[in-house]
This record gives sequence, structure tokens and C-alpha cells, in this order.
Amino acid sequence: MAPQQAALVNLSPAELSFLRASLAQTPPIRLDVTKGPRDFRSMRAEYDVLPGANGSARIALEDGTEALVGVKAEVEKTPQRPASGEQEDVEMHDEEVGEGAGKGQNSWVEMSVEVPGFREDDSLPVFLASMLKESLLASRELRDRLYINRRFHWKLYVDVLLLSPALSYPLALLSMTTHLALLTTLLPALKSEKDEDPLFDDDWDAAVALYPKAAGKSTDKPPVIILAMAVGPNIIFDPCKEELAVADAVLAIACTNSASSATGARIVSIRTIDPPSHLTPPGIPNSMNSATGGTVPTSSTDALTQRELLATSGVWTPPRGGMKRTLVSQVTKMVVESGGVAEEVISALAAIEVG
Amino acid sequence: MPVSILPPSAPLPPRRDAPADDDSDVSMSDDDLPTSQTKSIVTPGEHITSDPQWMRGHGTYVPAGHTAIISTVAGHMHKTNKLLSVQPLRARYQPEIGDLVVGRIVGVQTKKWSVDIAAPMLANLPLSSINLPGGILRRRTAVDELNIRTFFSEGDLLVAEVQSLHQDNTASLHTRSLKYGKLRNGLFTSLSGAGGGILSRRGGVVRSRRQVFTLNTAAGEIDVVLGVNGYIFISKHIRPATSVTDVGINRLEEAVSETLYSSQNDEIKPAVMREITRVSTLIKGLVACGMRVDEDMIVKVYEGAVELEAEERSMGGAGSVDRGIGAKGVVEAVLGRLEVEAGG
Repeated sequence: MAPQQAALVNLSPAELSFLRASLAQTPPIRLDVTKGPRDFRSMRAEYDVLPGANGSARIALEDGTEALVGVKAEVEKTPQRPASGEQEDVEMHDEEVGEGAGKGQNSWVEMSVEVPGFREDDSLPVFLASMLKESLLASRELRDRLYINRRFHWKLYVDVLLLSPALSYPLALLSMTTHLALLTTLLPALKSEKDEDPLFDDDWDAAVALYPKAAGKSTDKPPVIILAMAVGPNIIFDPCKEELAVADAVLAIACTNSASSATGARIVSIRTIDPPSHLTPPGIPNSMNSATGGTVPTSSTDALTQRELLATSGVWTPPRGGMKRTLVSQVTKMVVESGGVAEEVISALAAIEVG
Repeated sequence: MPVSILPPSAPLPPRRDAPADDDSDVSMSDDDLPTSQTKSIVTPGEHITSDPQWMRGHGTYVPAGHTAIISTVAGHMHKTNKLLSVQPLRARYQPEIGDLVVGRIVGVQTKKWSVDIAAPMLANLPLSSINLPGGILRRRTAVDELNIRTFFSEGDLLVAEVQSLHQDNTASLHTRSLKYGKLRNGLFTSLSGAGGGILSRRGGVVRSRRQVFTLNTAAGEIDVVLGVNGYIFISKHIRPATSVTDVGINRLEEAVSETLYSSQNDEIKPAVMREITRVSTLIKGLVACGMRVDEDMIVKVYEGAVELEAEERSMGGAGSVDRGIGAKGVVEAVLGRLEVEAGG
């Protein structure tokens, strides 16, 4: 479970109780009333913002959170293994790295995440980077495409920069920005053949896309991570900071477009995120508050039993436990189904590039 | 539309000091006369003018041994006769005595609380300037100091008045009135978010208007507290105890303060919850449109939004009423209608 470290919740128990009660309604009342449970916050996006990078994108959410991603590719020498025969080399390579038939390696993609207010070795940026990298490398296509020949490969540096303080859990925003940057990444066209030293076409117009687009055929796209949270029986996508503060459980689902059909999506990785609600202090009911005419329990065990017996709704109790199986399957279904959330996000991001 | 992605907003206006195409070195006159037509932004440290005829106002300074006026904040330039001032785009709240503010407790000390009121420095709320439960009037004892968290603890919201200002501009608050105290049964909204991207702060809470009012909605009454500091609390209206007319002033205090420091919400109907959230969304929309936030505006926009929703529902299906996305879209649509009504 990845830690939630972005700014501890600083809401009063009464507010938390109100938020939770409104989100647990059917249909849920979100903090922004105009949005339904499946609606994302509106955002502004652009790509090719950094002239020196192979691909770049910037996305700003309506609350002011903004992320910038640059993708830079460099040619790197593949370290040669001391192998006896060429055929064996390939086989050994397969076994050692455990990547099946692919020639690419995980180390060819490097990802760094910078979040203001955090050191680069703090757990939040490290976990964000590893979750983004994990989803990126989950399918073999990307790293195989970085293969040039037996002696050389592309090394891809993905630099993710959050420009504003992390208001809500920034994983979804960073992932969408990374998706857009990778989608628009171009690599110079290769002119040399086979195992020669690589020589590239200096014409930038001839550059090939890292994720090639074939007309009419559904080609693979970089993955995008979608945050979903559960409150009671409700599932809410793209939660804002306050909504996240009352979540029962949070799921980060990385998905990409499905390889077999034009609609729908497939999941490449899935993680639970520790919701900040677990760290909130519980509200004190009137019956246990000396300032409201109640009596303070004498011991902590007494307090616990009183709390457990308490059935009143208006008191904030931090959620316990994880996510129900039925909810998890419901979330995954909502994400991957034809016309589901993942398809909507991926097509919306693809539409920017077209338009 | 579940996912809406827009192109980037229009490019920024050219900088004030950007060289114009036809401008030659000879006619560099903008140093002498700050242009008034410009809506462009000056930045901290930017040289505004070195002409001695201008006087420096707020947001500017003159370095020692110079005559040039330099901006200290990022904002728009204003000229009043020969006085030059720069109005910052975003500024923190400057407390003044008598202001009604909404604050959040960030720290508890032995005899006082530290309260975040969106000012440059945290405000103090001494233990001696709160009402004790039951309205008892007495000296605060060591027992009260030990029980300080039963009154307010970290994260709690409260409405208070600025009682005094210290030399360093920190404020001292008090809640010694029945109108003030802990806030519950509702939703908190802040006008100035931490980000500056799309919601730039042009609007704000208007001072010296009615700041606590009750809004009538179809579902029930809603209380709105507009803190001068830009913090807003919207909650369910609690009726005062029924037989208040025949009890004395002390008894009244007693009746109300039963729940004065409660952190438990009353039962709120889903419809009321929805209206509370709707008002909060509309206020955010108002700010996004750069409108002022006061009672008139909120009431007008709220009624307009309810009407709009009713129309949409009767016409069936979304998209029947032409409007933009999200809170800003709704507010824009409502304001557009209000303008049409006013004009026609």
C-alpha cells in the first residue's frame, strides 16, 4: 500500500462527518454539485511545450494544480554480456531478465518525479515515480521500441514536475500528463542498418512517434492511471482533496486501450492507496464531551466501548479496513467496460493531439 | 461530459515594458509617464517610473538615494492624481478590529489557541475570550487550561471577531457573543485557494455588508457566514430554542450553549445537504468569474441556478440549456440571464 503523504488532513470532525454523509447519499452529492460520480475535474492541457525535449505536455486542473512532463531520449550503449555464442546470448538474456521474447530492458526508462515541498528521496515522490514507471513498463511494447540494435538502445528520461503544491493526491494528474507527453514523443528516424553505429535522419519531419499511430487500427497507447475512491456503497472518480479525506478506500488503476477491440480498455496495474481519512482524529460525541453536558469516559477502554456502541450518525469515525471485493470488481468493471471511464479519459487525451 | 479537457487559455497580454515594433530608442517615453490604459501586470522589483512628479503609494517603494518608483507586489497599477499604487493580484487578509472572520484552529497552547485566518500571521484566541459552556462568568482556572481541547481542538472551525491588533499585526480574536463560536453542520469554502492557475482571485468578500445571513431554499433554511478573510461557512440553519422570549439573558445563553462546543452534527436531510453544497459550488463559481461575493449576489445567483436546473429538468436531458462546464459555467449562464433581465 502506497503511503498518502500529501498534506495531512486539517478538517474538523464536523466537516468530515458532513462530507462523508453527503458523499454516501444516492446519488452522491459531490463537493462540486455540477459533477456526477464519474465526472473528472475540468482541465486545460497542451503539448509540445518544451522545445528541447522529445515530447512534453502540461496539464492544469481547475483548482490550480499544474503538472509539466518532459520526455528526453538519448542513445546509450548496451552493455555487452560476456557470452560464448550468439544464439545462447539471446536465450540467456531471456532467462536472466525474465522479459520473455522482448529485447528491451526495464532500466532503459528512467523516471523522476518532483513535488514542491518534498525532497527527491521523500517517500511521496519516490512512490509516485515507481507507480508511474510500473504502469509504463507493464506492457512490453514500450521498452522493445527503445531497442535500436544489439549494441545501442534509446534511454528514455521521463521528468515529471508538479508545479503547484500537491492539493489532492497528484498521481492521476501526473499520469495523464505523462500519457500526453509520451503520446507526442518523437524519436529521430534511424538511417543506419543492423549493428552499425546508429546514424539518424537530421530531418525532424521524418521523426517517428514513440507510440506510432496507424490509421484505422487501434495501436497501443501509454497507460493512464485513474483514481477511484469508495465511500460507503458509492464509487467516485477523480476525488478532490476534501473528498479524499473521507474515503473508505482509494484505488489507483492503470489502464491502457485494449489490444483486441477498438472500445474498452485493459488494466495494466492496480494499487491501493492509503487514504488520509485513516489518520484523522475521531469526532467526540456530545455524550462524551464535558463541554456539552456529557461525561468524559474514565478510561480508554471505557471510551472504546462507548464509541463502539454509538450508533449516531453525526459523529465522525475514521473508516477502518479496506475495500470490499464487490466494490473492487465494480470499480474495475466501470473502468474497463466499453464506454467506461478509461476509454473516456484516453480518448479525451487523444483528442487534444488531433485538434 | 465526464472528462472535459480544454485548450490552454488565451496568451497573456504583452508586458508593459515589452518593446513595441515601431518604438525607437529616441521616443522611449514610457519611463516618464506610466500608461494608464494598460491592464498589464507589474511584477515585484519592476521599475515603474523615475519621473519625480509621481508619488509612491501602496505596493511601491523608492530605494534609498534614488528617485525611481519600484513595485513591491505583482498586480495592476493604479493612478490617483499623482499618486501611484499597485494593487496586488492576490494578497493575504489584513485583519482590522471588528472584522468578522472564520478561522481554523491550527495549534493549541496552554492558555490560547493559534487560529489560521488567512492573514500573514496566525491569530490568537486566548482562553479568556471565549464563552464557557453554560454561560458561566468566572476566572479561567487551571482546570480549564487542562481541558482546553474540549472547547476547541486542532482543525476545528470557528467564527470570531477581531478584538485587537498587536504591533506586529497579529490579531487577537474573541468569541464572546452568541453569534460566534464553533461551526458545524455544514461545509467550509475558501475563496483563495493555494493555486493560482485558473481561478485567479479578483472577486472577494465585500467588507461592511451583512456577513451572516439566512438563505431560504426549497429544502429549508441555510445559514451562510462570509468571513472578511475569504473563508466561508455554509450550514444548516438551527432554530433557536423555542421559548426564548420568556427567559432572561443568562438563561438564553444557557439554552444555546448546550451544543456550543459540540463536534457532532445534527441530523441533516439529504435535500438540505444538496442545497448547502450547491451554494458552496456557486460561490466558487462566482470567484472563478471574478465577481464580488456578498448577500445580494449569492441570493440572486442561487435563485437563478435553481431556476436553471428546473428548466433543464423540464426540458429533459442535459445540454438543453446552453452553458459551460462546471460551477463557472452555471454562474456564467445565470449572470448572463440576469443581465438580459436587467437590460430588457
